[in-house]
Amino acid sequence: MVSNDNGTPPIPPGTSGEPEKEIPRKGFWKTLAVFFALFGPGIITSNVDNDAGGITTYSLAGSEFGLSLLWTLIPITLALIVIQEICARMGVVSGKGLSDLIRERFGARATFYLMIALFLTNLGNAVSNFAGVAASMEIFGVSKYLSVPLSAFFVWWLVVKGSYKSVEKAFLVACLFYISYIVSGFMVDPDWGEITAQFLTPTMEFTPAYLTMAVGVVGTTIAPWMQFYLQSSVVDKGLKPEDYQYARMDVVFGSIIVNIVAFFIILLCAVTIHQAGIQIETAKDAALALAPLAGKYCTWLFAFGLLNASLFAASILPLSTAYTICEAFGWESSVNRKFAEAPQFYGLYSIMIILGAAVILFPDVPLIPIMFYSQVINGVLLPVILIFMLILVNDRRIMGNFTNGWTLNLISLFTISALILLSGAMVVSAFL
Amino acid sequence: MAVAPHSQVFLFLSQILGKGIVDSAGRNQGKVVDLVVAVAELYPPVTALLYLPPGGKSPCRFPWNKVAHISGQVVVSSPAPAEGPSGNPAEGGLLLKESLLDKQIVDTHGAKILRVNDLHLLKVNQNLFLIHVDVGFRGLMRRVGLEKAADKFFQWFFDYHLTDHFIPWRFVQPLSSPDLLRLKVAQNRLSLLHPADLADIIEELDIHKRSEVFQSLDVETAAEALEETDPKIQVRLIENLNPAEASDIIEEMSPSEAADLLGDLPKEKAEGILKEMEKEIAEDVKELLEHPDEKAGGLMTTAFPTLPPQATAREAMEFMRQEAENLDLLSYLYVADPEEHLLGVVSLRDLLIASPQTLLGDMMNTRVVAVQLEEEKEEIADRFAKYGLKAIPVVDEGNHLKGVIPFRSLLEVVAPQLGK
Repeated sequence: MVSNDNGTPPIPPGTSGEPEKEIPRKGFWKTLAVFFALFGPGIITSNVDNDAGGITTYSLAGSEFGLSLLWTLIPITLALIVIQEICARMGVVSGKGLSDLIRERFGARATFYLMIALFLTNLGNAVSNFAGVAASMEIFGVSKYLSVPLSAFFVWWLVVKGSYKSVEKAFLVACLFYISYIVSGFMVDPDWGEITAQFLTPTMEFTPAYLTMAVGVVGTTIAPWMQFYLQSSVVDKGLKPEDYQYARMDVVFGSIIVNIVAFFIILLCAVTIHQAGIQIETAKDAALALAPLAGKYCTWLFAFGLLNASLFAASILPLSTAYTICEAFGWESSVNRKFAEAPQFYGLYSIMIILGAAVILFPDVPLIPIMFYSQVINGVLLPVILIFMLILVNDRRIMGNFTNGWTLNLISLFTISALILLSGAMVVSAFL
Repeated sequence: MAVAPHSQVFLFLSQILGKGIVDSAGRNQGKVVDLVVAVAELYPPVTALLYLPPGGKSPCRFPWNKVAHISGQVVVSSPAPAEGPSGNPAEGGLLLKESLLDKQIVDTHGAKILRVNDLHLLKVNQNLFLIHVDVGFRGLMRRVGLEKAADKFFQWFFDYHLTDHFIPWRFVQPLSSPDLLRLKVAQNRLSLLHPADLADIIEELDIHKRSEVFQSLDVETAAEALEETDPKIQVRLIENLNPAEASDIIEEMSPSEAADLLGDLPKEKAEGILKEMEKEIAEDVKELLEHPDEKAGGLMTTAFPTLPPQATAREAMEFMRQEAENLDLLSYLYVADPEEHLLGVVSLRDLLIASPQTLLGDMMNTRVVAVQLEEEKEEIADRFAKYGLKAIPVVDEGNHLKGVIPFRSLLEVVAPQLGK
């Protein structure tokens, strides 16, 4: 502060060089400060990834196959980092969203069918997330006829009436609640030596059930919508090429967190439900099965985690879908616009939430086939998007000097082929 | 069948792309991949087509005047390709597919950024002219190949007749390349937009197009648009310019806006720009820079009218007329002595009805509502509301007139909190 007693003459104008703001020192603290200013996209994307479908898959993987699928999380983390890094880089360098780049590079027809597929698969995801809300609230004794409409209204209101800043903050807070799974993991006091051994030694069972589950775990962790969402939010943040290293840190950090959460869910179900030999079919079964084995607090924590994840994903997924589609077709799209200014954007967003919630409220709705076909479309869509991404990231007109080098291309190509193989296997097995 | 001598037909680019080319003898020459137009004209005529010869890899150029007619196929009169693939295929023109189709454009009439779904061409005899850009849903369906199906569906399901959504070419500003933005012949259509609309459009563009568009504007338009732009984006836009270019634009801005912007820039950059600026303006801006944004000193402008009490109403009117262009505020004229002590205020209304010989010192209102440099914005807002003023002068402890806060500047600070 400049001291200014009454009566002293004002500071003569034109004096410069007064120390106003302290320039942050280079080094660790500066890096950390910039990181916290720029982080968000990668961490949010990764956490939405652990949605109701993800938690269900991890619970089933743990309770059916014990700890034997735990090691797959290591390659999955690496693949996630490779893929998301491409998106973050494209976002930072081109300043454009993925659907924008796809539209400009591959034309209207390819984009149109891609967007229809994306809409359908994400609608399936929306349904599964409202199912997650219904299931978790039923554990707390709340009827789905109350919880689902209320939560649908809540997520709709959050985005339509809030600004992007408040929405992002709400989402970052939601990320914290994933800790509930880690807490439950410690509550059951597992044998850490055994877990470390299983985690670090890859084992394969060549049975159809095991392979299907492995594909399921991969498929739920690496989904098409994430690439669009991540790239758009990187663009929205307005990151410059100089800030790229922070975007990459964000992505790596997020990819690791998502798999830590997955790790604890598998672990929890493996050491309790699997060891007790109980058969479960849904995440709700898993939560309920935990009560006699690990105590009712564990059930509550598990259910709370499921509720948080479902709500979180139920708001981001429709948002991301609406955003992506509007961007591809040149429609007005921003949470900062009013309803009448961006009718397609809010229309798509609202339709997904209303349909997603309504399906759950119908009695006897065939939930499992709906989920199943949405997963199949997911499996068809993912390879197409990954191939498009690889073409785009190697296009010099878009990426300039930030194209993939040959090592990076080799790694990406390997990762993408592995994912395509797995997605293909899932689609084929779906029709056998 | 009789053909009208001056047949006028509308065609879409999507209908022409991919058409086969045959020569007069009916031999296959390849496929149309793009059209070139001469963009300098109001309705750009097609001057050439690019085609892919059978088995060829890179497109060749063919002058449009050798095209005999188009229907199911493009029939050309001269058999061999007139020009090889050498050189820039867009030579002297604009490639329709490459730089317009699926790309973003600005509709300068509706002040919106839109994506091009198709291009609408008029055929007069054998000449083609680009007349509309199709941004509608029907255009999108045409590209997908479902135009008829979509028409029928909407008619049947909603009883709604799906119509085309065209934008006349003269309202279209293409964005795809920096060259297009700098075309002097076609005149940059963006300068026709209201600065606030232009600012919205700039904010919506991606980082690269943002600077390209901004740098294509003339200094005055750039300054006006910049004043309306979000502060964070302002900083980005200015950071990309060299100090000389930046100072030209900032000089055109009002001193208070300029000070806010320079205050947000990194210190070295701001100093570099200040050095390049005209000395007088730089001094004003530096003084404003000393004060925090949220207080009176940061809200005020130094571009306000002030005269000594000995001046007559006639002289005052003459002064206002001459300086109007450079002033941020015209509602009031402030009366101050040579030491800049604030003595009184005369409103423009008083000045208009006063007889020309009256001295300002005799007609001025001496009960001036003023605020101190350190006054908080809430307090200032209260004063505006209480006294119903259009502007409030700012003084230091010694009653020296330092600047004036126009109501507009206060509104910018207060408005964001109004909706909540």
